[in-house]
Order: sequence, then C-alpha cells, then structure tokens
Amino acid sequence: MKKIQLESKSERKGSEGHKSLPEEVLNNIKASPDLGLFKCVQCGMCTSTCPGARHTDYDPREMVKRVLENDRDVIFDDKIWNCFYCYTCQSICPSGNSACEVNQILRQMAIKEGSGVKKIDSFTTYGDSFFEFGMGSIPSAFFDDMVRDVGTGYLDLKINLDDIRSDLGLGSYIMKGESLKEVGDILDGTLFKDRLEEIKKHKKQNK
Amino acid sequence: MKDNSLSKASKEAPITSKPRVGVFLCHCGGNISDKIDMEKLKDSLDATVIEEFENLCSINGRKLIRDNIIQNKLERVVVAACSPITHEKTFQNYMTPLNPYLMEMANLREQCSWVHSDGERATDKAISLVNAAVERVKYSQPLDPVLRKTRKSALVVGGGISGITAALSLAKQGIKTCIVEEKPTVGGSMVQVGKVFSPEKMAEECAMCLLNPIVNEAVQHKNIKILTNTRLKKAERRAGNFNLLLEKEPKGVIEDRCISCGSCANVCPVKVPDSWNEGMTIRKAIYKSFPQAVPDMYTIDDENCKKCGKCQEACRMDAIDLQMETEIIPLTVGSVIIATGHKTFNMEKRPEYGYNRYPDVVTQMELARIMGVNGPTNGKLQKPSSGEVPERVVMIQCVGSRDEKPDGRRYCSKVCCMVAMKHANIIKSHYPDTEVIICYTDMRTPGMYEKYYKYGQSNGVKFIRGRPGEVVDKNGTLIVRVEDTLEKTPLEVETDLVVLSTAMEPSPGTVEVSEKLNVGLTEELFVKEKHPKMKPVSTDIKGIYVCGTAQGPKDITDSIVQANAASSKVSELMNGGLESEPFIAEMDRSKCNLCGKCRDVCKYKAIYIPADSVHVDPISCNGCGACISVCESGAVSIRGQSDEAMLAMISGMLENKREKEVRILAFLDDVGYVSADNMGINKVECPDSIRIIKISSINRLTPEHILHAFKEGADGIILGEYPDNPMYQKSQEKVELLRDELVKNGIDPKRLAFYKVYIPYFRGLAKKFRNFDRIIKCIESKT
Ligand code: SF4
Ligand code: SF4
Repeated sequence: MKKIQLESKSERKGSEGHKSLPEEVLNNIKASPDLGLFKCVQCGMCTSTCPGARHTDYDPREMVKRVLENDRDVIFDDKIWNCFYCYTCQSICPSGNSACEVNQILRQMAIKEGSGVKKIDSFTTYGDSFFEFGMGSIPSAFFDDMVRDVGTGYLDLKINLDDIRSDLGLGSYIMKGESLKEVGDILDGTLFKDRLEEIKKHKKQNK
Repeated sequence: MKDNSLSKASKEAPITSKPRVGVFLCHCGGNISDKIDMEKLKDSLDATVIEEFENLCSINGRKLIRDNIIQNKLERVVVAACSPITHEKTFQNYMTPLNPYLMEMANLREQCSWVHSDGERATDKAISLVNAAVERVKYSQPLDPVLRKTRKSALVVGGGISGITAALSLAKQGIKTCIVEEKPTVGGSMVQVGKVFSPEKMAEECAMCLLNPIVNEAVQHKNIKILTNTRLKKAERRAGNFNLLLEKEPKGVIEDRCISCGSCANVCPVKVPDSWNEGMTIRKAIYKSFPQAVPDMYTIDDENCKKCGKCQEACRMDAIDLQMETEIIPLTVGSVIIATGHKTFNMEKRPEYGYNRYPDVVTQMELARIMGVNGPTNGKLQKPSSGEVPERVVMIQCVGSRDEKPDGRRYCSKVCCMVAMKHANIIKSHYPDTEVIICYTDMRTPGMYEKYYKYGQSNGVKFIRGRPGEVVDKNGTLIVRVEDTLEKTPLEVETDLVVLSTAMEPSPGTVEVSEKLNVGLTEELFVKEKHPKMKPVSTDIKGIYVCGTAQGPKDITDSIVQANAASSKVSELMNGGLESEPFIAEMDRSKCNLCGKCRDVCKYKAIYIPADSVHVDPISCNGCGACISVCESGAVSIRGQSDEAMLAMISGMLENKREKEVRILAFLDDVGYVSADNMGINKVECPDSIRIIKISSINRLTPEHILHAFKEGADGIILGEYPDNPMYQKSQEKVELLRDELVKNGIDPKRLAFYKVYIPYFRGLAKKFRNFDRIIKCIESKT
C-alpha cells in the first residue's frame, strides 16, 4: 500500500533544498507566472490529444499528478523524454496548466542531476559542427534513421552535395577563416563551449 | 421647499443659539469610573445640567434622565456611557418628551476606559469625548425615521418557470403583477426540455404537464397580466416606486380574435428554421411555437414576413393585421423581480468537438428536443444524419464550463450532470440496446440527486472518468478521444452520436434589463445579489429582486424556491413598508442648478431629477454623502449630519489640547466603529491619542472638515472604511482628493492615513492605530 507520510514541520517550512517538487517547478525560471499547476483537476484532456501519449506510454496527466504528489522519481523516468513539445496539451488544458512546460522543467532537472545527459548527448555533434563548419548539420549518427525515414536518396544527396552545388554554380556552404573563427568566439563567449564540454564529460563517464 | 419627508417635529423645534444641554455620566458599575476620574470629568464640562449615575441604562437611570429633561427644560442630552452600538436605542427611548435624535452618546467604555491603562490619560480623553458630544448635540435636529409604503404592484421580467412562480405567489397575496416576456410565448426553457426528473421518483416526468397548470393559473389570475413579445424599454426610480416603459412588438395577429386554427400557417410561403426545436425543423413566418403555447394564438415573425397577405385572406376570423405597430406601455410598480433566465454556451468556441461540422454531434438541449414527443422526430431517438437509432451515445460533460480558457466559463453549470443522467436514463429505458457513455471529470449530483445517479448506474449507463479533447470523424464513424484517467490509458471511443453538455450563460436579456434598472452584475454578467449568503434574492437596489438562472446556474427546483423567496421579499416590502434611518441626503432646491452631478455619482440611484427639481428617494439613500462632494453649488447636505455639527464635533475633540500632546482623529464608518468597539471588548490597548468619530462613509468628508481638524490642532487623521460597499471606489478617489488638498495647504499628506476595516480584524485596527501614532510622533519630532 502507498503511504502518505507526515512531513516534519521543519521539512515543510523547508530551506531551498526541501522545497516540494510542485513548488520547485512553479518557481523555475522557465515556468510562466500564471502556470496553473495546482489547479490541475486530473481530467486527462491533455493526454487525450497528446501525440506522445498516442504512440508511447507517456501520459502528461500522470506526469503532472506525480509532480503534484511530490514524486521525485518522475524526474528520472524515461517516459518524460517522449514529449515533443507540440504544446497541444497547453492549448487545451481547461485549468490553465501546461503539461509541456512542466515537462521542460523536469527534463532540465534531469539534465542537472546527470541522468538526463545521456538523452541529449547525441545532440553534442550538432554543437561540434558549429565549431567545425560554422553551422549546424545533421550528425552522422542519425544518418541511418534518416535513410529509413526519407529513403536512400538522402544518402545520395549527402555524398554528392558538393557536386550538385557546383553544377548549379554555387560555392561551398561551409564557413572558413575569419568567419569561422568569429562563430567560434561567439560560442565560446556565451559559454556554449563549456556546456558542450560538460555534456561530453558525462558521456565519457557513462561509457 | 425641502424634501417632503421631513418630520413634523423638525418644523416645531428650531435650533436655539445656546440650547440647554444636560450631560449624564454613567459609572457602568465601575467599568468606567474605576479608570476615569469622574470628579475631574464633571468639573471640566460646561452644560446646564451634569449628573452622574451608577447604571444609566437601568429603570432608575431612565427616571433620572426624564425628570431632568422635564424639570430643567433640557433641549439636548448627552449620555456618556457605553457604545451607542449597545445602548443608543435604549437611551433614545429614555428621551421622551424630547425627540430621540436630540441625544448624543459619548463612548467612554469601549473606546476609552477599556482600551487605556493610564487613568490620567483616559480621563483627559474622556473629557474631550464628552466635550465633542456636547458641541455636536447643540446642532442636532429632531428627526423621524423614514417610513415608506410602496405601491402594491410588481413587474416580473421574464416568463419562464421562475417568473411565473414569482408572479403567482405575488398575485395570491393580492399584489397586482405584470409579467413581460420578450418571446411570443411564456414557459421559458422548461417547455423545451421535454422531461424532468426528481430525486424522489426514479422516473422522468413530463415537464409540460407540470408547468401547464401553473401557467394556466397565472393566465387566469385576475391579479396577473401577461405581456408577450414585450421588453422593458426604460426604467426610472421615484420615491420607492418604479416608473417603467414597456415596448410591445407587433404580433400581426389580434389576440382575442385568433382561434389558433392554423389556416394562416398553411398558406404562408415563408419557411425558416424553428428555434423552438433548436433549428431542427422548419416553421412558417406566421406560427405558433408549439401546440400548447400560451397565449394560444399565432404570431407573425416580423423579421421574415414578406407581407404577401396570403394569411390575411385565409383567416376566417379576420384576426390578422399586417399594419400593427409597436406599442409603448407605461407602468408604475412598487417592485421589480428580474427572472430573465439564461442561454447556453456558443459551441463555435469549441471547434474541437466538431459541432456544426458533424451532424451527429448535438447539444443536450437538441437531444431533449429530439426525444421530446412534440419535437422534430415525435420523440424517437434518431441520429440527425440518417434517422437511425444510434448504437452508442457518448456524452461530454463540462463543455465550456469549469474552463479557464479565455472564452470559457470558470464556474460549474450545476445542472449538466443531472441533465446528462436524465437523458441517459431515458435512452436506456426506451432503447436498452443503445449504449450510453458519459465522459466526466467529476459527477456532481448533490443532495438527493445521488440516488438518481446510482439509479443510472444500475440501468447500465457507463462512465469514463476523463475529459475528451476532441471528436473526429474516421470513415464515417465518430471518434471521441479521451483518457481513461483511472486506467491511465488514452482511448478512442467509437460512437455514432455525441452529446455535449454545454455551459449555462447569462442571457442577453439579463444584461439588458440590469442595465436599464441599474442593477449590479457579477464578473460573469449574472445579476449580483446584495450578499451571496445573507441576501440571496436582493439586488443592490432596494425593491428589485432576482430569481432563477438570471442570478446563476440552477435547476428548476432551486429556481422555484428562489422565485418564492423573491416574492416574499416583495410582499414584505409592500405589507410592512420600509423603515430606515433618517440620515439621508437633503437638497436645498434654491441653490440647486440641476447639473445632475449628484445623480450621476450615486451608485444607489437615490437621486432623480424628473423635471425641474431634484429629488431624493429616502429609501434608496444610504446617507454616504458622495453627492455632497460633487455638488458645486453646495445644495446638498445629510439630514442630521450637518456640516456645522461635524465641525463642532471636531473642535470639541481637539479642545484643551496640552503642549506637546498628540491628538489623532479617526473617522470610521459603521463597520470600523464596531471593530473599534471590539478592541475595547477584548481589552486591546489603543494609543490614547486616538479620538474616534463615526461617519456614514468617507464620502461624507469634505476638505473643509479635514482642514478644520488640522487648524484646530489635530496631528493626524485616520480614515477607515469597509471595502465591500458600492461606493468604496468613490471613497478611494476621495482620499486622493483630500491628500491633494493637504499638500495645497502645506500639510504633510503623510498625516492622513486610509485603511480598510473589518469587524473581526480589530487587532489589526489597533495595530494600525499604534503604527500611525508612531509615524505622527516621528513627524512631530522632526518638525
Ligand atoms: S488537461 Fe490540465 S487539468 Fe486536465 S489533467 Fe491535463 S494538466 Fe491536468
Ligand atoms: S507538448 Fe508534449 S505532453 Fe503536451 S501534448 Fe505535445 S507531446 Fe504531449
């Protein structure tokens, strides 16, 4: 049987560390000031239209419920990575809540705690390509998926892109020299590089 | 000429320049005399007679006061004792043969001896309190309470079940009542819904059969007049009565000639959707809404009539007159009941449910018509698209209600769960093979209705706990997308009929009529009750009451209960008359230039200017004094609270102020005054600088009063008012004005404080007094 335990008074008043999960979500910088988290009536309207819920076992209503129940395990639950930020739940919620916004905050917490890092580490190659080419490009690790989704034409395009461009009288799209350095400096100055390194560090440790 | 309700007494007793004042000091069995030095108090006063007594409120006290009034020919009396809240009425009764309003009380117990620990300071304060009362009472006038009888007649706006019930109850009590209904027939929503249920019987009853006898009784009652096709056009308040203009749209048919044979409709070439069947059938331009309609006659709908004259030819009774014109009907009544009903949520705001896109998505009201024996299918349950009996019906609850989205309605519409249950039960009993599923967030079946809910469950009605997000069409089958929140699974429910339980909204008529009558509305645009708990059928305006769904969502039973309550309030008013305190606005017509500013500012609508003179309705006036502030010609005063009396009281409070002493005047309204009394009753210490003056409202204060107080030596002024009164906003503006006035006169505006007051919040008030006392002392030490 599930038990709801009494919290001691000091715990309830709590320092930062003891803030309950719903409060922490509401106080997060990403939360809109009028986020109706506490007003959720568990109607499930969000789940009824959520494409994530239709194709996986992700349930935005249940996620909100777990947050309201102060169930911190929800942060580490793999299911929260199935939302794809379409915001349908927010547009439909009759209580002024946004499951999607709650989800973003939970994911950020997961990343901070380390467990979420592996969910995003494959995206580090996007970052790398900024330094390398001065622009984003689809990481080679995703090529197989792309071929499966789009067809072999995708691979042809990738391999022959330079030729196609020159046939069309276009130059290389990759940045060079001063411009490339400039992009690198910006990414460096805005601490993008540090964050990238941080994520890569986790990636290595997890291997 | 002054306003007409001045008492006889006032004409007989003019104010003499130095009236003979008697002061009676009460020991209150030590409550006062233990703290206050009575000898010193006595010695410091200046009056014709000064008496002390152990217990003034006793029978012997009464004798002492009366004997003194007679023997010493006293013209005014001051009783220095407890709070007027406790004993003002008692002492007013002790004043005979003097007029009771020639007595003033000084509050020595609750607001002095009980809140100060230092005897010497309490005595000083007591002197100023009694002094102020003596100064004030010199300007008191003899008054009589206002008593008004209103006309024994009423208007009921709206001919639904609420309006008819209220009118019948009034009529039976001998009150002439007129019902106006904008539609061509009375009966309202109840005639449309077909069946009703009661928690007693586990059965659905015929709504029309229940309503018809009541309607017939109303039609036949000699005290009731029913005007259909009629609206309220204009309303004006006069001396407790309402002068109204009604506008009767032409019906094109002469009521007492029409025998309702229907030959006219047979020949009429115009076909339009029939709103009585929610547009699901067709009717003619000349029509009768439904066979049992009251009044029993045909009506031409002016909007669609082509004036071809075919009906006229067909009518053997010569009842049709296509040239009929709008009629204006004047009416004066003593009271008005608003029973303007509701409308339902506009489904265009929820496109996700596919209403208007899929023919088999309908509202509960449409389903009611489909299942009504006099409806489009003669009572058969059919899908609008094909006419087949549906295999499954899915009902969606809370459509537009309990919805915080911008175009939604935040409140629960209260009846939809029961309406859905009713329709589900009817379907189950007539079409046992049809499955009914209700998708709900919470089932709300309060009180006895729970029984009916259980009955539905045992009939096999199914429930899914979840609020559907959308209805889509997949190859001709409707799909309702919902999460079964108990199962934690998103579901797609296939169905062939979807029924939406839509929110109840205020009708346009409610808004329109309230505007004409100046009745306040809630945020949601329902008629606002004077107090949602204590005065549930009264409005902000005396003599106007509300019942039924004009006031908020409710079912038939609640509407009937409220209609009866409203009618009993009307009859209270008409049989008992109205009595109120005489402190009301008074107009000096020789000074008035008819600018109308006072009329515009008054939220109680007590002032009216019918032709060339200004009038105050003594029953509506609250004596708040907002009109005084806006009258540039100084024509307004509040009876019994003249400026002279106010100024004298202020001076009295500030007399004999010692070197370096700080004195603060606190002007509190009734609520603030009771709160201050509570400080005394609970022995909460209060700074002795505070001197409290009771006023009707902050609106009564003028810059002159405030400046006078500072001139006479006040160091600070506190204003306190209960925020939940209609004139509160004006009070806030008033405070700003007073502050500006202080700045203009070189007085630090920080010396004026304004607080909200509440009766139970007396400790808060004491704290505010202490803080303000500190602030003032701080300002003093710097200057
Ligand atoms: S739609 Fe809103 S109220 Fe309903 S369950 Fe989801 S978050 Fe809660
Ligand atoms: S934003 Fe995420 S949770 Fe919300 S509906 Fe879309 S996928 Fe589902």
